[in-house]
Amino acid sequence: MKLVSIDKKDWEKGIERLRPRYRLFGPIREKTYHAFQRLDEGQLPDLAFANTRLSPKDIVFPQSKAILECSLDETKADHHIMKSIAGDDTPQLVLGIRPCDASALTLLDLNFNTDEVKDPYWIQAREKTTFFGLACDTPQSTCFCTSVGGGPFDEKGLDVLLVDADDRYLAKILTEKGAAAMQAAGWQDESDANALLERRRGAAEERIRSVVHTDRLKDIDILRLHGAPFWEDISFACINCGTCTYLCPTCWCFDIQDEVHQKTACRMKNWDSCMYPLFTHHTSGHNPRGTKLQRLRQRFMHKLKYFVDKHDAGIMCVGCGRCVHSCPVNIDIRHICNLMNQYSTEDACEAQG
Amino acid sequence: MTHMGIEPDRMHFSWISSAEATKFVVVAKEVTEKVRALGPNKHFIKTEARGAQHV
Amino acid sequence: MSEHIDRIRDIAQRLLAEGRVDMIVGFRKGTLPMMNEPCFIKTPTAVDQLVWDSHCGINLANYLVDRSETIGVIAKGCDSRNIVTHIIENKVDRDKIVIIGVPCHGMVDKRKIQSLADAEIEAVAEQKDQLVVTAGGNEMTVPKKDVLQENCRVCIHRNPVIYDELAGERTEEQSDVDRYADVHEIEALSPDEKWHFFEDLLAPCIRCYACRNACPLCYCPTCFVDESRPQWVGKGQDPTDVRTFHFLRAFHCAGRCTDCGACERACPVGINMRVFTKKLEKDCFEQYGWEAGLTLDERPPLDTYRLEDPQDFIK
Repeated sequence: MKLVSIDKKDWEKGIERLRPRYRLFGPIREKTYHAFQRLDEGQLPDLAFANTRLSPKDIVFPQSKAILECSLDETKADHHIMKSIAGDDTPQLVLGIRPCDASALTLLDLNFNTDEVKDPYWIQAREKTTFFGLACDTPQSTCFCTSVGGGPFDEKGLDVLLVDADDRYLAKILTEKGAAAMQAAGWQDESDANALLERRRGAAEERIRSVVHTDRLKDIDILRLHGAPFWEDISFACINCGTCTYLCPTCWCFDIQDEVHQKTACRMKNWDSCMYPLFTHHTSGHNPRGTKLQRLRQRFMHKLKYFVDKHDAGIMCVGCGRCVHSCPVNIDIRHICNLMNQYSTEDACEAQG
Repeated sequence: MTHMGIEPDRMHFSWISSAEATKFVVVAKEVTEKVRALGPNKHFIKTEARGAQHV
Repeated sequence: MSEHIDRIRDIAQRLLAEGRVDMIVGFRKGTLPMMNEPCFIKTPTAVDQLVWDSHCGINLANYLVDRSETIGVIAKGCDSRNIVTHIIENKVDRDKIVIIGVPCHGMVDKRKIQSLADAEIEAVAEQKDQLVVTAGGNEMTVPKKDVLQENCRVCIHRNPVIYDELAGERTEEQSDVDRYADVHEIEALSPDEKWHFFEDLLAPCIRCYACRNACPLCYCPTCFVDESRPQWVGKGQDPTDVRTFHFLRAFHCAGRCTDCGACERACPVGINMRVFTKKLEKDCFEQYGWEAGLTLDERPPLDTYRLEDPQDFIK
């Protein structure tokens, strides 16, 4: 893997060279937190951040997108016939995505790009986007990427990994897409500072304080875990909002809705959350997950058990800590994962007296 | 509503009984003139699907 | 920990041991600084789990509806007013609730505290009316009154208005606070400025509904935003839909909102949600002399008609 040194004096120049070739995205400070935004003319990404409030998955999986449209004007020959809205092929470049969020993209690939199902919107967005990650030097107390197969300098999902080395960035080029972007930016000075990078990686990994155990999840019997006695206690506080789902870089559920605007109609694809009561509401009126306990259990069983059993990719969580930080009632996935991981049927016998 | 930024002259309230035909005419004319003077409403109108604002 | 916690635990233990309640709804220590988690306990030996401090801003009245158990609930001033509203609206049976009232000195806002520190906050310890905040290895002392939640800063009902047990001495109510200073600021703007103010306010909204779900008043089996036949409000990110959700929800809370701040506290993107409801609260107060949830004996203004109801806006 080629290592390139980007003198910070050349940073802005490089970005301006990228601007005509890519639609640029980067973290921007908004009032009290950072968010990934399109970078306007002359705007630089603000890389002095821990992580953004919302994950950057919105860039390749928008929260709200019109996918089909039709005319309702009955004088037109093609009225009421839904047509695809042409996608946009403009290459995109995301500057400053954290390794946890980038590795989440590889988990989303397991859902949106499989042999049986290929989501055209996801695939088009993934193919046109290049990801320049920014390694974490100061993980937060809620970060636990190292517990889930990731790390503050992890490379999964990235085309280039940037490491802040004071007066310069060290850029590790990981893919051809990454190499093309680096060339376009004119960032070509090779570096041999591998040892420095490894030292920084070690120091960052040492700073991770949250540990989450996942080693037994695959082996625990699925039905026994489903019937565990702790669900009632841990689901009590949940208010069934969509905060955890919408902030999570690995959540992928969506809803299709039709909207009418005067003489046109369109079909929208919007994010949805399994925490909402309506998520599993059938047209018959029956709701298999009508209670809060059922929904909360579903969320954590999906992320920490069903996904583990189905794919060989660990848990469906990258340890970014956003849900932990932002849940209004302090439902903590770290605590729940540890509870699930250490659950054994001996505990069940005790609980049942 | 006006607190949200709708112009005060776009919203009018009036008690009119079905027996008060003249009052109805007067109020209808007045409201029409006042609203027409404000021009077309720009607020709370959706004319097309708009996607995410964040990105 | 507040001085109330011992009384709270004693009362909770007694209620459970005597079988007067099936469960106690309160808080247990959270996994993060400045957070506590709403919880329930069902056995007298578990009362030591309960905590009470300045990070108990969540409104526990939100957890009382649609439950069959007899519940002992810990309630501060605003929470108790929401319980009154629940009773008036027939969502909660007075006989199935035992209210453990706690006089409140105001809850602190974790965002305000974080903004005072340069690094992530590691711990916050309480010492009477000061907070000792540890961040980035450094300690600083902050007076609680400087970091109160906005609604607590202007609160005039700190004592519970209804209770079965009282877990502490009644506290003096604040009297010289301007509850509507922020509303007056907006009222002074032109219509265009007002429109842009709200546009700006709602720009970060992600339609997660944390505000709605944290609110004890929002208990509709199907919220108007989730209706589909007919669909009143779009579910996407169109600014018109986002704004409609917020102002219509505020209207549904008109005359009922107790300014508990749960909505603002819950919002993951920090929107000052109370800006909507404060205006309606001000109008109810000035036009009907009404404050929500103070007594079980009066019907709310939108429920009743009186000859002296204001009508000079009607031609």
